[in-house]
Amino acid sequence: MVLDPVGTAACCPPLSAQPLSEEQAGQIAPLLKALADPVRLRLMSLVASHAGGEACVCDLNDAFDLSQPTISHHLKVLHDAGLLDREKRGVWVYYQVRPAALASLAALIGSTPAMA
Amino acid sequence: MSIQRARDDLAIIAVTGPDACTQPALVSEPIDETSAAGLAQVFKALGDPVRLRLVSLIGARQGGEVCVCDLTSAFDLSQPTISHHLKVLRQAGLIDSERRGTWVYYRLVPAALERMAGLLSVPVAATHRNLSI
Repeated sequence: MVLDPVGTAACCPPLSAQPLSEEQAGQIAPLLKALADPVRLRLMSLVASHAGGEACVCDLNDAFDLSQPTISHHLKVLHDAGLLDREKRGVWVYYQVRPAALASLAALIGSTPAMA
Repeated sequence: MSIQRARDDLAIIAVTGPDACTQPALVSEPIDETSAAGLAQVFKALGDPVRLRLVSLIGARQGGEVCVCDLTSAFDLSQPTISHHLKVLRQAGLIDSERRGTWVYYRLVPAALERMAGLLSVPVAATHRNLSI
């Protein structure tokens, strides 16, 4: 069975509990890389905080000094990584954060044992 | 304390911060540009398969400390390449290092990882909201 990156992150024990295999690391790294951009981090938080937990590019434009195609590109990167869901309604595409994707990354990174 | 060492400590303070325990979740409120820029750097450090494996190898080690000499054998990479990746992780404040004798020993900075986990955490209310759709 081939797991998507989010699935891989969800099934891995915390980073500090067991070494990741090369394959697991290769699947999880793109999720973190998608978040490794200030605009995309802000987009994630803006989409999540928007009314109803969803937003279209038309709602997000004003927060940035960037063109709409650039914002759309960043949203696509987040969607392709599995961090955002999207749904087309009328002329706009609406994005929603995938809580499971974030929660599985949090579980992977966190839970480090206290150091003696 | 050497100048390099002092710089490293400053980098770690920049990542963990005085309010490391109160990092709001990404989904709870919009983050400002300054925070986003700093956090993106840490995600950049983590968003590489070799560096992710290095973090997990260091973290999984009993005693919490690993000699660079033990890390190179897990990779098909030269020691300078491994050292470069370790430096990126250290500059991001995710690991700390100490030279003892010939070797440099690495350990995780749990507060920095917990801060990132806190950022990615999903409050129960948000989970319910999205699941109910």
